[in-house]
Amino acid sequence: MNAIVESLPAAPQPERSAARTVAAKEWLELRRGPRGRLLAALMAVLMGVALVGGAVQYERGHQERDAAQDADRSLWNSQGEKDAHSAAHFGQWAFKPPSLLALADPGVDAYSGGAVWMEAHKRNEMQFRPARDSGVTARMGGLTLAFVLQAVLPLVIIVLGFNALSGERERGTLRQLLGQGVTPQALALGKGLALLRGLAWLLLPLAALLVLSGALLAASGQGAGAVQRALAWVGGHTLYLAGFVALTLAVSALARSSRAALVTLLALWLLATFVAPRVMTEVARSSVALPSAQEFRERISAERAKTFGHDETHPAFAAYKAELLAQYKVQRVEDLPLNFRGLALRRDDEMGYSIYDRLFGELDAAITQQDVLRQAPGALLPLLAMQPLSMALAGTDTRHHRHFAQAAEAHRRVIQTMTSEDLIRNQRYGDTAYVSPAALWAKVPPFDYPPPSAAWALRGVWGALGLLLGWVLLSTTLAAVAVRRLRAV
Amino acid sequence: MLEARQLTKRYGDTLALDKLDLTVAPGEVFCLLGPNGAGKTTTVNLFLNFVSPTSGQALVCGIDAAQDPQRARRALAYIPEMVTLYPALSGAENLGYFSTLADGVQRPPAELLRLLTQAGLDAARAAQKVGGYSKGMRQKVGIAIAMARGAKALLLDEPTSGLDPRAANEFAGSIDTLRRQGVAVLMVTHDLFLAKQCATRVGIMQRGRLVTVIDAATVDPVGLERVYLDSSMEVAA
Repeated sequence: MNAIVESLPAAPQPERSAARTVAAKEWLELRRGPRGRLLAALMAVLMGVALVGGAVQYERGHQERDAAQDADRSLWNSQGEKDAHSAAHFGQWAFKPPSLLALADPGVDAYSGGAVWMEAHKRNEMQFRPARDSGVTARMGGLTLAFVLQAVLPLVIIVLGFNALSGERERGTLRQLLGQGVTPQALALGKGLALLRGLAWLLLPLAALLVLSGALLAASGQGAGAVQRALAWVGGHTLYLAGFVALTLAVSALARSSRAALVTLLALWLLATFVAPRVMTEVARSSVALPSAQEFRERISAERAKTFGHDETHPAFAAYKAELLAQYKVQRVEDLPLNFRGLALRRDDEMGYSIYDRLFGELDAAITQQDVLRQAPGALLPLLAMQPLSMALAGTDTRHHRHFAQAAEAHRRVIQTMTSEDLIRNQRYGDTAYVSPAALWAKVPPFDYPPPSAAWALRGVWGALGLLLGWVLLSTTLAAVAVRRLRAV
Repeated sequence: MLEARQLTKRYGDTLALDKLDLTVAPGEVFCLLGPNGAGKTTTVNLFLNFVSPTSGQALVCGIDAAQDPQRARRALAYIPEMVTLYPALSGAENLGYFSTLADGVQRPPAELLRLLTQAGLDAARAAQKVGGYSKGMRQKVGIAIAMARGAKALLLDEPTSGLDPRAANEFAGSIDTLRRQGVAVLMVTHDLFLAKQCATRVGIMQRGRLVTVIDAATVDPVGLERVYLDSSMEVAA
């Protein structure tokens, strides 16, 4: 007896090695079977169409923005001799540069707009919202790479893997495999590795393409951080999809039949992909109220009514005038050492700044609260976590728009300050004939907006990233528990 | 070597196997005969630990299958009533897959072909996808898997059910080859002729109990049938 026991294989097949063997066989079957080939072709076409479509849109947006920016700048520079405050009213456009990954995930670009009109006295909202000008099809969402990865690819994983373990049980091969001494864990791991290998075949070329494009952009000085963003974007999606691989295996192990596994997984996919985002948007909207655009404008108007603008009869104007006269110990504004009109314009701007900062700050805080609430169930319904992460890395989420809008507002203030300062220093009181020199306009620096870094983008979505990791952890744990319960009979 | 010690399995109030004591020595083919529900497949499932014993032990080469199921399974080969294979793979690829899973050894194509032909499969069919195989051909792949494993013990559960006489005869020849190599074979069957042809000993089970064990060499198929029927009637009485 001892001799027999000793003659048994001393080092039984390690689980990792068994998993690799299973994975290799699964991969072979996947390549040979019509299901694998068909889905691979479908995914290649969908991703290709989405990528090309996104690239065309990106290039068009880039060209249009550059052309509009140049045209607007030359209009500004060619104003000639002019009253400085009139020039401030003449205004300028600030155009948001499209990020590379906007071609993959346009995010809220179509709804938030891509440019801000910078003018005297007013902080404007962003303009040029393609969704407003498009038909219903555009508002329903086009075929973007993000949609393919976030909605279609999980479905492909489900179709490829729903019978990964239930099918083995139904065919009777599970009994044979377990009878060979293969552990359910090794079997499931092998199946999972094969599905991940399929994903890698789709995602690695995409990652290479995005990273290469990012590197080329960075080399041309246009896309700092684009490489890191592309890597993190693909990495985030890999996590998201790995969770679906684990979930598919878990359901396949738990379900009584392959049909039951498929129905369950399709129901979960529908819930996670289409129902949850809508429901959570409504929950967030009803929990944290946002003012309508009209209400917000009215609120600003009401606050701005406390400032004087050009109204010399406004009590705030009279108060400022009195304050200045007292400060300089003079009786008349004509005796002030600086131009009173310029000073008043500057004061009015400063009063406006604090109003805008407060009201826009409140609006941004409410939007952030909504975002946090919307993504809260992200560990269970992962698209709720994946979407904000994807948009953040693509630079197309509300936080990036806010960042741009704040940069534009800061630039508007630079313009206001420069024009008011010219009046303060150079115009004599009552000299209505005074015009600022044409050279002044070129001294106003052009609006230069370096996009924030990848680290900045990630800092805003730590919560979503944590939820995504939670999703992977939960689905993997579920798979581990389900596989442990896998029985031959 | 396979050994059952007071092996008992109860499903609720139903006693599926009652204190089975059985030893199958190396180079021995022990056939378990009995009607449906006699406890034959339960015995196989207990050696594989697909179900846990209520009491007693199922030992594979001295390893308690309930205590260390993975190691016990690695020590034996198992051929079910219907060997199920992966239809998109060839016979050789299926053999390669199952045998590599069992011991981690990747066998060269020539060795896979040798094993398949040794198990009785036509060499020309080895490279064809098993989707087109008959049941007999799939059973031969099952035998080849068992051979590749070099297992010391073999469990067979109704292996010739549905096979034509010629295929069943070829299968019996393969079992005999394994027996001569010193493998301990426990075969569950309804086929009295196969039992007589292959077995060194025959056990007859009724209602979860091993009621008779006879030396296969001492009876002919007709005599075996008589013993089987007598055992059934005694238990019924």
